[in-house]
Amino acid sequence: MRPKDESKVLDIVGEFANVGAGNAATALGALLDIEIVNEVTSCNLLPLSKVAGWLGGAEQIVAGVYTQLCGDLRGGVLVILSGDSATTLLHHLTKEKPNLSKLTEIQVSALREIGNICLCWYLVAVSKMIDSDLIPAPPDATVDLLGAVLDLPLAHVGVKVDTVIAVHTVFKSFQKEFDGYFLLLPEEQMLDVILEKMGDGR
Amino acid sequence: MKEPELVGIAQMVVTKAPERICCMGLGSCVAVFLYDPTTKVGGVAHVLLPRAPQGTKMLTKYANTAVGKLLSEVLVKGARKEHLRAKLVGGAQMFPNLSISVSDIGKENCDEAKKALRQLGIRLAGEDIHGTRGRSATFDLETGRVSITTAFSDSRVI
Repeated sequence: MRPKDESKVLDIVGEFANVGAGNAATALGALLDIEIVNEVTSCNLLPLSKVAGWLGGAEQIVAGVYTQLCGDLRGGVLVILSGDSATTLLHHLTKEKPNLSKLTEIQVSALREIGNICLCWYLVAVSKMIDSDLIPAPPDATVDLLGAVLDLPLAHVGVKVDTVIAVHTVFKSFQKEFDGYFLLLPEEQMLDVILEKMGDGR
Repeated sequence: MKEPELVGIAQMVVTKAPERICCMGLGSCVAVFLYDPTTKVGGVAHVLLPRAPQGTKMLTKYANTAVGKLLSEVLVKGARKEHLRAKLVGGAQMFPNLSISVSDIGKENCDEAKKALRQLGIRLAGEDIHGTRGRSATFDLETGRVSITTAFSDSRVI
């Protein structure tokens, strides 16, 4: 079922993630009242040790919202914002400038909700493509070192595998300093369904 | 000074003074450090998960198998077991609101690492674990000290 050619697998998963990211970016833009565009989706097969490096280094401070898919098809989805973008976003939504080192309960809640909306729109789009339900757990948000933000998602996927497929789509706005990316970490079974529904067999 | 060598998830590095090694951005992961101050030989395992499945080859990915693997490697490199002491860094709960659906992997990682150290008879000399913040830990093989920084606060040393 699965094409043997690794680059082909990555192409298919990339196309899949692209559609989700497009939907999520539109939702995010509507919330912020700015136009948000996606850049090219990139997809890679990486050992667990290399994921943070591929995303620019474990030591960056980012805002991360993570949800775990908890239905039949499992995986992790994250929205990652640069520190500056998280400040812009929270400022816009709560009308006060946040201190990222010490977010208030309402600010964390706002971040979580933004992630929730984006991630759900992401999943709505991709679940239509593979004609399967994807059920997200309520997400949680934090602002911390990228490596630390990725640990739990990688631990969840890493229970079964030593190398993960990571798909990320950068989004940004031309009107404001605002950028970040969506990150999808599908587990084996989800990957199989994606490849089956979207690959050569279609 | 030479940049410290980075040790990623599920990786292990064993070396000696004057090298420095660093685990960047530890969240729920735990860095297990072993050090022999007499020979200045030591190492670190950056573990992701608490318990290994049967027959795993990735010994350094799991707390319960990484400690033994790290011990045998530092002994090969010249450390003496009776001088060895351990330090633990990491094991935070980065997304505490998800705790309803998932277990606290950070805490389990710490528990398993401590259990393995106890079973192997290695003394725990210091720790900076749990909480909800990520950490970066740099281990100086010259002094045996581990300096820890977080995203927003000052560094501390164990």
